[in-house]
Amino acid sequence: MSRIDEILSLVKHVQPFPKVVQRVMEMLDDPETDVKALAEVIQYDQVITANVLKICNASYFGLPRKVSSLNEALVIVGHNTLKDIIITSSSARFYKGAVGEGYKLEQGELWRHSVATGILAKHMVKHIREVDPGAAYTVGLLHDIGKRFLSTFVADDFKQIMIKVVKDHCSFVEAEKELLGIDHAELGGLILEKWEFPEEMQLAVRQHHDPDALKKEPLTALVSLSNALVISMGIGVGADGLATKLQGEGLKRFGITPPDLDLCMANLLDDMERAQELFHL
Amino acid sequence: MKLVIGISDMKVSNQPDDVLITYSLGSCIGVVIWDPVAKVGGLLHYMLPDSSLDKEKAATKPFMFADSGIPLLFKETYKFGAVKTRLIVKVVGGSQIMDNAGIFNIGKRNHAVLRKMFWKNNIMIAKEDVGGTGNRTVSLEIGTGITRLKVSGRGEFEL
Repeated sequence: MSRIDEILSLVKHVQPFPKVVQRVMEMLDDPETDVKALAEVIQYDQVITANVLKICNASYFGLPRKVSSLNEALVIVGHNTLKDIIITSSSARFYKGAVGEGYKLEQGELWRHSVATGILAKHMVKHIREVDPGAAYTVGLLHDIGKRFLSTFVADDFKQIMIKVVKDHCSFVEAEKELLGIDHAELGGLILEKWEFPEEMQLAVRQHHDPDALKKEPLTALVSLSNALVISMGIGVGADGLATKLQGEGLKRFGITPPDLDLCMANLLDDMERAQELFHL
Repeated sequence: MKLVIGISDMKVSNQPDDVLITYSLGSCIGVVIWDPVAKVGGLLHYMLPDSSLDKEKAATKPFMFADSGIPLLFKETYKFGAVKTRLIVKVVGGSQIMDNAGIFNIGKRNHAVLRKMFWKNNIMIAKEDVGGTGNRTVSLEIGTGITRLKVSGRGEFEL
């Protein structure tokens, strides 16, 4: 089996995304859905139930009081927040353990990077208004999911990849693509396809390292921008460092200026302090 | 003891066994200062150049910005007997992502402000490792002043 076939066959065996998510999302779109029915569905997944309670009490979501039962949580939490909480708790399981080892990321760092990107992406909707905040948050959380599965292959070829980055001044993903036949963004897109996420989300994950991403679909632009800023801040950044390409002139179409970017980074740091519970799921 | 400095944070020590360390400097800048006589050192990890961006944040998190963080770093070491002319100053970080238009030049702007401030205040930089696309981890041993730098793609070495 060739290297690329070996990597692609991984996708076939990727654990499915928790089934309960799709069901809950549908229910939340229906104004008739009541809390009891919602609780019944969520309770099927014990990990999600536990996480919902844990995350609800994070100051990031700013609930007026502590909640101790799922029913109570569902009454207090608004639908949009509940969607974010469900997607966070369902994604966390894919980032457990030494998932970023090939990229020289310590345990938990890939998840920290993902949550930070999700939070910033949601914030960025203020500047890129065409995007739904929930979609921005979801893609932020999952944009690097390909790294989790490419990590061991990157580890095998690590030396050659780094030599290529340093000598040829190429980006880390370009080196991945050349040496492994696929990069983590492309692989991530395939995983989202398998998980049956909407096409615009698959596309945004696939293109998040495209140097011209800021000229593409709004969701793609938003996630690539959020990722670039989180990388610049050094949050959950491994051996790939800042070796990624993004042509900044694409920001003009959104009217985003360098001071806007500075302010987004400053605010993200505050948000992250309030979101500590999310990093330890 | 190992003292970790987070993003927009600063620590100073005069305990010989202490090691100050900050992880993963991207566009941010790490300023390491050490007085070989008083054996006191400090490490600042700032994220942005200019505190006029958000006055409220500058008041609560002065170490977020170069212009509010750098003076505090120096002043804090003076409290422990450091003398400005003796301080050995090292500067690391300031990387940036690859962008021909230079819009994402946060690292460059962070560095430019520091240079200007140091020039105005007659502060010499002893060692510097700035720019590029690597991310950096830097540490300072308080007892010896040894500064170690780790850069992705270049390994670990003494600065």
